[in-house]
Amino acid sequence: MEFNEMKKIWDSQNNEPLYAINEEALHNRILSKKKTGYHITNTSELLLIIVNAAAGLFVLSVNFSKPGMNIYMYLLAAWMLFSALYMLVSRIRRIKGSQQFDRSMLGDLSHAISMATYQVQLSQVGRWNMLPIGVLCLLGLWDSGKPAWSMVVIAIFFAFAARGTVWEHGIYKKRKQELEILQKKLKAEG
Amino acid sequence: MTKNEQKKIFESWLDQYRGLVFKVVRAYALSHTDQNDLFQEITIQLWNSIPTFRQESSVSTWIYRISLNTAIKWVRKEQKHSRAESIENVEFIWEDGGTKVDERLAWLYEEIHRLDEIDRSLILLLLDGFSYKEMAGILGITESNVGVKINRVKKYLITKSKK
Repeated sequence: MEFNEMKKIWDSQNNEPLYAINEEALHNRILSKKKTGYHITNTSELLLIIVNAAAGLFVLSVNFSKPGMNIYMYLLAAWMLFSALYMLVSRIRRIKGSQQFDRSMLGDLSHAISMATYQVQLSQVGRWNMLPIGVLCLLGLWDSGKPAWSMVVIAIFFAFAARGTVWEHGIYKKRKQELEILQKKLKAEG
Repeated sequence: MTKNEQKKIFESWLDQYRGLVFKVVRAYALSHTDQNDLFQEITIQLWNSIPTFRQESSVSTWIYRISLNTAIKWVRKEQKHSRAESIENVEFIWEDGGTKVDERLAWLYEEIHRLDEIDRSLILLLLDGFSYKEMAGILGITESNVGVKINRVKKYLITKSKK
């Protein structure tokens, strides 16, 4: 079959009666998806900012209210507040940067890759952030004379959390690689 | 733009160009459940795109652009997640009118579905009469690259039709 014939076959469907759309169901679906359709990056970065800021402020207020000074806890609070600020600045940069892509398929893919790169970076920051937070937490407990078992429990908790961040990082990295393959395919000559 | 204005534009787009959306849906999704799912995704993206439509391109080009970008992302997502939702739980957004299926058209869709995501976009645009220049604009690649890819896909389809 020649291509012109395929085109004729293709055009024949333009004369077919169009499918009926259940408009009410469609409208309901659009509304429900709009409510739940928060992007994963948006949610995870907001969560990280809030958690870091709230935890930093909490540690700071507990330190203020208690007699005696635990330098490690002050350092921990400062680190967490700095992390929250860093993520907030990154978020603002990301939102500003997302307006630079055109609506072509390549532009859309480049945008998706830039988002995936951001997710990879964010998860990497989260991963390495566990180390100073964990160490400062343990030092703070040690300095305030807490029993050894409580330090072991905290250390195990951080080890699990670190494992979780490695897993999360792997997912984002794989997603980014898939998008890059698609972009290469689109750009490839032939 | 008010919600009412957005709704009016959305309805007129859907009324005039739903045939175009159906073509993309049929080329990227096989089962009726998947087709409904993709159709929903595309319409949601179309709804969201209305405030950003600057009339620099025709409405059909814009709708094709949004539909293809959504379909490509949807295919990626579907490859990873098998649908947990059973067919009984799906509220179908569109139903076919029970028209007799043209076997040659079904074959064409089947072959298009065998192509990779990007080649599928190109062949849909070509069959719908878009120029290389328009295709290059929609895909964001050069016209010469479009030409090379089109020739390859055309050859593939012609060879397949002879078997």
